[in-house]
Amino acid sequence: MSVIEVADLAVFAGPTRLLGPVSFQIEAGRTLVVMGETGAGKSLIAQAIMGTLPPSLTATGTIAINGRRVDNLPGAERAKLWGRDLTALPQEPWLSLDPLMASWKQVAEAHRHVAGLDAKAAKAVTGRDLTALGLAPREPRLPGALSGGMAQRVAFAAATAGRAPILLADEPTKGLDQQRHARVVGLLAKVPKDGGTLIAITHDASVAEVLGGDLIVLRHGDVVETGKTAEVLQAPKAPYTKALMAADPRNWPVQSMHRTGAAILTARNLAISRAGSKLIGGFNLTVHAGDRMAITGPSGIGKTTLLDTLAGLIAPFEGTVERSAGMGEHSVQKLYQDPPAAFPPLIPIGTNLRDVARQHKVDWDQALQYLPDLDLHQDLLNRRPDSVSGGELQRLSIVRALIVKPKVLADEPTSRLDPITQKTTLDLFARIGRETGIAVVLVTHDAHIAEKWAGKVHPLSLPISA
Amino acid sequence: MTDHAQPALLPGGGSRRWMPGPTRATGLALLGVLALCAIVGPDLVGQDPARQSLLDARQPPSEQHLLGTDHLGRDMAARLLSGAQLSLSLAALSVLTAGIPGTLLGIAAAWFGGWTDRVLGSFADAILALPGLLLVLMLAAISPGSWWALYAGISLTLWVEYFRYTRQRTRVVLAEPAIEASRMLGLTPSLIIRRHIAPEIGPGLLTVAAFGAATAVTAVAALGFVSVGVRPPTAEWGVMMTELLPYWREAPFLILQPVICLVITVLALHLSVGGMHKR
Repeated sequence: MSVIEVADLAVFAGPTRLLGPVSFQIEAGRTLVVMGETGAGKSLIAQAIMGTLPPSLTATGTIAINGRRVDNLPGAERAKLWGRDLTALPQEPWLSLDPLMASWKQVAEAHRHVAGLDAKAAKAVTGRDLTALGLAPREPRLPGALSGGMAQRVAFAAATAGRAPILLADEPTKGLDQQRHARVVGLLAKVPKDGGTLIAITHDASVAEVLGGDLIVLRHGDVVETGKTAEVLQAPKAPYTKALMAADPRNWPVQSMHRTGAAILTARNLAISRAGSKLIGGFNLTVHAGDRMAITGPSGIGKTTLLDTLAGLIAPFEGTVERSAGMGEHSVQKLYQDPPAAFPPLIPIGTNLRDVARQHKVDWDQALQYLPDLDLHQDLLNRRPDSVSGGELQRLSIVRALIVKPKVLADEPTSRLDPITQKTTLDLFARIGRETGIAVVLVTHDAHIAEKWAGKVHPLSLPISA
Repeated sequence: MTDHAQPALLPGGGSRRWMPGPTRATGLALLGVLALCAIVGPDLVGQDPARQSLLDARQPPSEQHLLGTDHLGRDMAARLLSGAQLSLSLAALSVLTAGIPGTLLGIAAAWFGGWTDRVLGSFADAILALPGLLLVLMLAAISPGSWWALYAGISLTLWVEYFRYTRQRTRVVLAEPAIEASRMLGLTPSLIIRRHIAPEIGPGLLTVAAFGAATAVTAVAALGFVSVGVRPPTAEWGVMMTELLPYWREAPFLILQPVICLVITVLALHLSVGGMHKR
């Protein structure tokens, strides 16, 4: 008997179909991987199975769990299944954790009230779980003080505490560095081995590869390809699946080398701190015109802080960051990992760009010339940031930075961008570097990206004293 | 996420934000009618609100006196409209004189932080510690019956709400990465205020303003009613209530009139910002 049986599931927003129809069934001990880029409707599958679709959406079709139809049950009945029969590892750990409760207590609470352990046992099991995930057994910090990867692991520990046999993991590796990434994927892969059932939603082909099982590839809510994960990944048939595979950093071509110019930004003996304690010390770096540079390291090591220090947003804790002659106040521009957060949300994008052009006395027509170059239509300028896609907004933010005529672009792309957008954006940076001599400094926790994309790689590791 | 792909997920998107719902439409219509009455009404009625005629006291509505006459034979319609003029203009003025400094100081407190924030915040807290009406009463007591004392007192009480709201929202906006981005791009403080802060606090300020105006209207009437605000013979709703209270048994329709006017005005102000959904 199938543990989960979904037939003709479709999700609508009013008359607009966002997903489906999708049908699948999974047996105990099996895995289903759902792949697709952001906005493809992947998360809607998880929400429909859990019964947590937003009220503005409607679902049709049937969903049965352990042979019992659940899609027509009232909300309270479905909520009884949570934690015991099925559990979800949410996409944004910060949003799913209580912001005002010590992290370990949130895990202990699940052990206590969902799994039914007594306080002492719950505390012990929590300590064991958190240690196994590489966290302190009594992690006292609030979720807001944790890095994305740490918060994700706390959420994982809390979600699995109830020992539910079905686990829905929605983008479980989002924002995790490679080490943690492998660890969380390993934990997920254990679920079916222990007799559980796993539904993993991801845009990362490497995750799908490890998890195996069956695969559904979604695009704009439509199923474009199904099959055994290993087979589909080996020989994708649909053009979209092929594009998705090509966007996997491991499959990227190595970017060609090019000549670089004079030194424009020099960091000497730089140290950075967080909350008063030194994170990285004795860091030396010289950026030349046209450089394509990657700074890599595990999450939580202070890559973003380092980037902000190089960009002049944060004063160095120790050491200096020097700009060469000819570098102005605005010669270093930063691109944000979450493009919607980098624009004034309530005004048209064009107004923002026009302000920047006017401020720097750049002719508006000249500013507009960047648009077709980055495959952007001028109509987008009349929209607000919440009504353009993430990829378009990322390119618009590049246009905005180019208006200022920078010498260095600092960027922190993350796995938050879907892989195709990420590849396009980084290809674009390489091109900008070649054509304009602008240096691009990238921080990333993805060694594959650094290796394939960058001309120079600066690996960061934890100081020995820590 | 394009416009057409997920319309239902963006209920606050685009121009629909400013489409008034039924609640707001009702409030705005009521407010419009009230303002129109206050502006052109006195001319239409054509009666002097202060002209007494003791022989015509407490008359029921007639052709000559649309809403009857009060205990001194003065025309009720003329007096109510004159009261509306006074209440609404005072409310509008207090919105300006409380709103503008309150908003600017709120932005200043959030922007500069530190001592500026502490000094302004303490001052606002000190005013908040006093019941609003008490402050107005104190000022009214210094200069009894003066319209200016009343107005100054109300403004002095109401600016705090603008200040606190603006300061709090501005702090949130200033903490966003978008501000850092704008600063890196070299945008001036004036542009940051206009593009980031103003659109964010605008809708909320409208709500604060409408509620503040309602508070002002109520305060004027309340002070008139307890005889410390506007003095007779000025036609003011609170004063009229006091004057007509002794006759409520013989002529209940008289005292009801200023009461209904006050209720409708406050209701209109509250409804006019009702159901405004924020992004």
